[in-house]
Order: sequence, then structure tokens, then C-alpha cells
Amino acid sequence: MSAPGAAAAGGSGRSGATADWGGFEDNMQGGGSAVIDMENMDDTSGSSFEDMGEMHQRMKEEEEEEEEGEAGAAEEEDGEFLGMKGLRGQLGRQVADQMWQVGKRQASRAFSLYANIDILRPYFDVEPVQVRARLLESMIPVKMINFPQKIAGELYGPLMLVLTLVAILLHGMKTSDTIIREGTLMGTAIGTCFGYWLGVSSFIYFLAYLCNAQITMVQMLSLLGYGLFGHCITLFVTYNIHFHSLFYIFWLGVGGLSTLRMVAVLVSRTVGHTQRLILCGTLAALHMLFLLYLHFAYHKVVEGILDTLEGPNMPPFQRVARDIPVVSNAVLNTTAKAIALTL
Amino acid sequence: RQYGGYEYSQQSGFVPPDMMQQQPYTGQIYQPTQTYTPTSAQSFYGSNFEDEPPLLEELGINFDHIWQKTLTVLHPLKVADGSIMNETDLAGPMVFCLAFGATLLLAGKIQFGYVYGISAIGCLGMFCLLNLMSMTGVSFGCVASVLGYCLLPMILLSTFAIVFSLQGTIGIILTAGIIGWCSFSASKIFISALAMEGQQLLVAYPCALLYGVFALISVF
Repeated sequence: MSAPGAAAAGGSGRSGATADWGGFEDNMQGGGSAVIDMENMDDTSGSSFEDMGEMHQRMKEEEEEEEEGEAGAAEEEDGEFLGMKGLRGQLGRQVADQMWQVGKRQASRAFSLYANIDILRPYFDVEPVQVRARLLESMIPVKMINFPQKIAGELYGPLMLVLTLVAILLHGMKTSDTIIREGTLMGTAIGTCFGYWLGVSSFIYFLAYLCNAQITMVQMLSLLGYGLFGHCITLFVTYNIHFHSLFYIFWLGVGGLSTLRMVAVLVSRTVGHTQRLILCGTLAALHMLFLLYLHFAYHKVVEGILDTLEGPNMPPFQRVARDIPVVSNAVLNTTAKAIALTL
Repeated sequence: RQYGGYEYSQQSGFVPPDMMQQQPYTGQIYQPTQTYTPTSAQSFYGSNFEDEPPLLEELGINFDHIWQKTLTVLHPLKVADGSIMNETDLAGPMVFCLAFGATLLLAGKIQFGYVYGISAIGCLGMFCLLNLMSMTGVSFGCVASVLGYCLLPMILLSTFAIVFSLQGTIGIILTAGIIGWCSFSASKIFISALAMEGQQLLVAYPCALLYGVFALISVF
């Protein structure tokens, strides 16, 4: 075993990579393919990763060889050690190479997970004219409920409407200086809107399954998403113009129209009076109550207070609650709490 | 002395398939020759100092391109060239985001974290949406680069907000105008780069929502 060691020791001074094979010469006379593979691996075609490895290996082995020379240990021990180290150096590079391959494979597997998003691709294939037409249609209740109405199964319009609702909510929260104690404004807005869209869609889909209605999940998402158009309009107007009666008019009128449209479509796809009642009653209640909730929970400043504000950038604690019209106790209490918090 | 395997291959002409792609080995086995070294200059540490490329070129920062792209953003009516976004350049957008944060800082709002978070989430959202809407895919770097460049008018808005308050009527009109300018430029570049004619409004609207959130930070 000292001969390969000596050969390795002799050769390692020049180039660490190729010297390692000196140890194998006597062992593998036939030039088996395994040996050639390691050689080819070292003959890289310019991959800087492996050349870095080779450079470091060379520098490491050169300084290790100097150390070993100074130590002056027994020749056999050194020889064996060098032989094993040579093997380890080669093995180290092979391990590094394998890690690189495994890493690349894992990354490409994770990336192919992205291909699952491609399932949604057909739902985003729309033209601006179509989106505009569907937006306007969502406010018009259909008259014919005797045969199933067509629902466009697209997700672009509903997604944009939900994001618009998030933006409007954020704007409303900012203009009324709403303070969210646990969490951020953005997180609350996104959570509320997406939670409503996905959660209520799933719930109504589940009810539709129970009531034997002919509707798919994508259609339900689409229907409810377009139903949020009324919410967007109502909130956009009433967050900026603060008349209470105006809100109630919009709530009943605009909210009611979009609810009626959704209800009509669902009724046309369900048979049986009880089933229709359950499904449509639930949807109507949830939809109208959501609009009510959005108005009162995220826009705490009631109209009378805002009337006293003269200019922009009025600090909150200067708002005095006078001339407040008759409102619910809950709103009054929360407003008082908000003022107390800012003091 | 020659390694057994090599000698065998050089004499008999039998070349293992793996070696087909490499150059024929002309040197001694124990001495690394020039054919052994890689072609890319950056990993050959022993090269001369004069052979190294200039720092900006190595980092990929090309001021001329940055300026061209900035001008494309600033002229909303100028037709965009689809090929300008081929190289992903994040140096310009990084500078613009920092400038945006700095102008907000001058107005008394320390919101670098919000700028970072919103731009990250916004880029991710636009990346998913554009990949779903376009025939050819788009890379994340391209989306981040375009959205970053089109943030430039928003910097004008936040500079204005240092001196004047944006919560009056003029502020609302100015904000709406700037949001429209940003989203129009971004959608124009996206459409020319992804060949999505007729869908400019569909691309502009999500961009408008994203820049609207940035405007919210500037205004309030």
C-alpha cells in the first residue's frame, strides 16, 4: 500500500486533481468505466462551479501537503493518509456534484408545481368587452327562471372585483383613521374580502350540492365575484359621501339588484321550492349583511362628526361627537372607544 | 507517465461517448494546460488585473439602458419597443424603490418596510396573473423590472406630498393622474413585450390597483 501512497505523494505537488488517480493506477489496470467517469468529471466543460471546487481542492491539498511535510510523520501512515485523502478529495467533488444535481432536480420539481397554475389558464382568457358586458349584466336580474341561465365561468373579473373591494376598503379605513389592534390594515382588508369570496362561495356550493342545484365551483366563484360589483359601487360612493340615508338607499337599491340577479340565476338552476328557499335565502342574507358589515365596521366616522371637519389633516382627537343622528348603540360605542384610544 | 485509460483511447481511437463533446486532450496528464481551463473569465482567479471586465459590466449595470428605459416610462404616448425588457435589470427598479422610500422619509413617513412588502407581493401577483393571461410565459425578473421602472411617476407624487398635502381636491386629481400614468406605461410595456394586443385595459387595471396602494402610502 505504500507504493500508491508514494506515487500520490509525488504527484500531488503538481496538480491535486490528477494526482489522486495515481493511487488507482495499480488497482485498476483494465481502465474500467468507473475510473473514466471520474476523469471526465474533472474534465469539465467550463462549469465554473466545478472549477471552483477543483481550485479549492488544489489549494487545500497544497497547503495540507506542506503541513504534512513539516510534521514528518511516518511514511506509511502519511502515505496511507494521503491516499485516503486523495480519495476523499475526489469523493468530495463527487458529493458536491451530486448535491448540485439533487438541488437542481428539487428546484425543477418545485417549479413544475407551478404547472398546476396552468389549470386556471382557461379562466383568464377574456377580452375587455366581455368583462364590461358581464359587469353590467351582473346588475340586471334575469326574468326567465324556468330554464337554467348561463353563467360565465371566468375568474379574471371576479378576482379584479375582489381586489378593487380590498382597495376601496383600505381607502375607507385610511380616511376614517381606523385603528386595527391586532394585525395590519392591509391584512385585514385582504383577509375580509378574500375570505368572503372564497368562504361564502364554498358554503353556497356545499348548500347547492345538498339542494341538488346545477352549479359548479368555478361558476359559483364567478357569480359571487360579479355580485361584489354592487358592493364596490356602494362602498365607493358612501365612503366618500357621508349621508346615512344615502347608504341605506344604495344598500337596498344597488345591493338588492345584484343579490336579485344572483338569486334569480340560482333559482333557475334549482328544482323544488324548499331547496330554492334555502339556497337563495342564505345567499341573499349573507350578501346583504356583508355590505352592511363593511359599511359599519370599517368606516367608523359617522356623518355628523365629519361635518364639523373643516380642512384636511385634522388630528383625530379634535373630533367632537356632537349632533350625531340616531344611530345604533354599537356604532356609538365603537366610535367612543376609538376616540378614547387616540387620547 | 500517461494514465492508462487515456493512452488506450488515444491509440485505439475509441472515444467514450462522454468525451465526444470535449476538446481532444493534447497535454500531459499531470500538467494543466490552457485547454483545461474554463472559458468564462470570472472564475480563473489567476488572471491579470487588466483582463478583468469593468465592475459595472460585471454587475450588469448598464447606465445607457437604464436611461433608455426611464425615458420609455416617462413618455406615456411613445410606442414601446418589446425588446428592451429582454434583459432583466433590477438595478434601476432598486434605485427607484429607494428613492420612493427616501421621498416618503422626507415627508415624515418611515415606510420602507411597506414599500418592500407591497412591491414583493405585487410583483408576485402580477407574475402569476401575466403568466395566466399571456400565450408566452414571463419571467419574474421581467415583471419586477417593468413594475419597478414604472414606479418613477409615483416618486414625483411623493415629492409633491413633501410640500403640499394631497388630501384636497387637487391632491385627488393629481393622484388619479399619476396612477393612470404609471399603470398605462406598465401595461404598454407588458403588452409590447408579451404580444397581448387588445388586452391593454385588462393588464392596466391590476397595475392601477398596485400603484393605487403605493399612492395610498404617499397620500396618508
